[in-house]
Amino acid sequence: MKEVRGLRATTQALGAIFWKSIKHYMRLPGSFALYIALPFLFTLLIFGMGRFVGGGSAPTYFAARTGTTNILVYEMLGSAVWMTSWVVVEDVGVSLRNEQVNGTLEQNFLAPIDRATLLVGMSLADIVITTAIFLVAVGATIAFTMPTDIVALTQAYLTLLIGLIPLFGISFLFAGIIIRFKEPYVFVQIVNVLFAVLTGTYYPVAFLPYWIRLISGLLPQTYVIEDMRQIILANQNMVSLYGNVFVLFALALAYPTIGYAIFKRIERKASVTGEFSKY
Amino acid sequence: MNPVEVKELSKAFQTREGPLLRKTSKTVVAVDKISFDVSEGEIFGLLGPNGAGKTTTVKMLCTLITPTSGDALINGYSIVKDQQKVRENLGVMLTGERTLYWKLTGRENLEYFAALYHLDSSHSKKRIDELLEKVGLAERVETLVENYSTGMRIRLSFAKALLNDAPVILFDEPTASLDPQSARLIREYIRELKREKHAIILTTHNMEEADALSDRVAIIDHGKIVRSGTPAELKERVKSNDVIEIQARKFSEQVLIGLQSFSEVSKVAVSTNDSTDEADLRIHAEKGKEVLPRILEFLVRKQVAVTRVSFIEPTLEDVFIAETGRSLRD
Repeated sequence: MKEVRGLRATTQALGAIFWKSIKHYMRLPGSFALYIALPFLFTLLIFGMGRFVGGGSAPTYFAARTGTTNILVYEMLGSAVWMTSWVVVEDVGVSLRNEQVNGTLEQNFLAPIDRATLLVGMSLADIVITTAIFLVAVGATIAFTMPTDIVALTQAYLTLLIGLIPLFGISFLFAGIIIRFKEPYVFVQIVNVLFAVLTGTYYPVAFLPYWIRLISGLLPQTYVIEDMRQIILANQNMVSLYGNVFVLFALALAYPTIGYAIFKRIERKASVTGEFSKY
Repeated sequence: MNPVEVKELSKAFQTREGPLLRKTSKTVVAVDKISFDVSEGEIFGLLGPNGAGKTTTVKMLCTLITPTSGDALINGYSIVKDQQKVRENLGVMLTGERTLYWKLTGRENLEYFAALYHLDSSHSKKRIDELLEKVGLAERVETLVENYSTGMRIRLSFAKALLNDAPVILFDEPTASLDPQSARLIREYIRELKREKHAIILTTHNMEEADALSDRVAIIDHGKIVRSGTPAELKERVKSNDVIEIQARKFSEQVLIGLQSFSEVSKVAVSTNDSTDEADLRIHAEKGKEVLPRILEFLVRKQVAVTRVSFIEPTLEDVFIAETGRSLRD
C-alpha cells in the first residue's frame, strides 16, 4: 500500500477530520442553526432586560458606562464571542465524548496519527462555524445599525480568529476531563456560563471586583471582546491595541501547549484504566 | 521472527465497588501472563466465554490499553514502546457495528480512515473500490451507514480493518450478532486473508467458528490460557471420554451434585435457560453407553424431565469443559 509521510500525512489527516465534522454539521443542521440564532436571542434578552430595569434612561446610563450609545452592536459583539467560545468548548469536548460513546473514538485512536492531529482536526471545523457566526450575527447587525467599515470588520474578525487558538487549548483540557469524568454537559455548561460572567460579555470587565478581574485576565475572550468593541465602536485598530493583541498571542502559545499536555496525561491514565471503553 | 509474539502479557484493573463513601478498591486480573506467537499465514483463535479476557488481550495488542506487565511484538514493534509503529502494522476490527460514522456513507467512512492511516489518496480510491466490491457493498457506497443493515455495517467494518493491508489483523468477535449467511461470508474473507499470508488473531466464544477457522486455538478462561494447540490436538485430549448431551427441564443444583458422584463421570457442564426452565447438560464419561441407563434412571427418579439424549463427537467446547469444568455459555 502506498503511503504518505511527514507533513503531507498530517495535512491529509487534518483535512479528513475537518471534512468529517463539516459533513456532520451539514447532515445534522440543527446545531449549526442554533449556534447562529443564539447570539441574536441572547442579545435581545439582554436588550429587553436593560430596557425593563433602566427604563427610558437606560441608553444614557449605558453610554456613561461603556462609551457608546450603540447598545445592540455592543451586546451583539459580546454574544458572538461568547457563542464562539461555547462552540469550541462544546465541539471538541462533547464531540470526543460522543465519539467515545458511539465507539468511533477507539477507531480513531487505532490509527497511526498522533492525538494532537486528532484534536486540531476536530477544532478546524470551528473556524467555519466562527466565521458563520461572525458574518451573520456581527456583520448583519453592524450593516443594519451603523456605517460599515470593511477594514474595521476585517480586523475584528482577525482578532476573533487569534482568540480561537487559546480557546482550542482550553477545549483540549476539557476534552481530557470529559474523557475521564464523563458527563460532558455538566462541565461545558458550567464553563460556558462562567465565561459569560467573567469575560465582559454583556458589561465592561472594569465593573467586576478586582480579584475576579484577575481571573478574567487569564481568559482570551476578555481581550477579544474588548478589542472587537474598541475596533468597531471606538475607531481603534489592532496596532493601537497591540498590548491586548500581544497577550492574545501569548495565550495562543501557552494554552494549547498546557491543554494538550494535560490531555495527554489524562489519556495515558485512561489507557491504563481502560477508560476509553467505559461508557 | 513471527509477526506476533506475545510474552507474559498481563492486565490488572483497579475497580471501586460499594456504596458512596464506603467504596472499597479491588484489583481484577483480566489477563494473567499469557504468551503465544502467531506466524505468517496463520489464524490463531482465542476461544473463551464472555469476560475471559479476550477483548482485553486484543485491546492491549492494538495499543488501546496499556499492559500492567509483559509485552508483545507486532511485526517486531513493541506495543509498549513503539505504539505508532504497531498501529501502522495492524488492521483491527473491534466488536460491534458502532465503530463507524453513521452519518457518513460507506465510501466516506473508508475515505476518512484511509486518510488517518496515511494511505496515498490517489491509491486509496482504488483500494476502497476493491474492498467495497469484495464485501459486497459496491452498490451501496453512497448510502449513509445509518441506512445499512447490521450485516452490511459489520462487512464495512471488516473492509475498514483491511484498508492499510497490514501484515497482522485482529478480529474481535467478528461474527457476533450476524445472521448465518453474513457470518459465513466473513469467515470466507478471513480464510482468504490467511491465503494472502496475513497473521490473524481471532477472538470468539463460538466454538464452531474457532474450530473451522483457526490453525491453532488458545482456550482462555479467567485471563489465563488454559490450553492451546491445533483444534484436532485439543479434541484428541478429550477423546478418551464419551460425550453425552442431554436436554432436560426441572434441573437443579442437587441433581448436578448427584450426577457428579457417578464414578464414570469426569465432568458435567450445565447451561440453563431461565426463561424456559430448560437445561443443556454435557456429560463427559468413561464407557458412556454403559453408564447412560443409570444416569437416565437417576434423572427420572429426581423428577427431571428429559427431552433429548444423544452421544456427540467431542468439540472445542468439550475441551473447555474438560479444562475448566464449565460450559462456554456459562
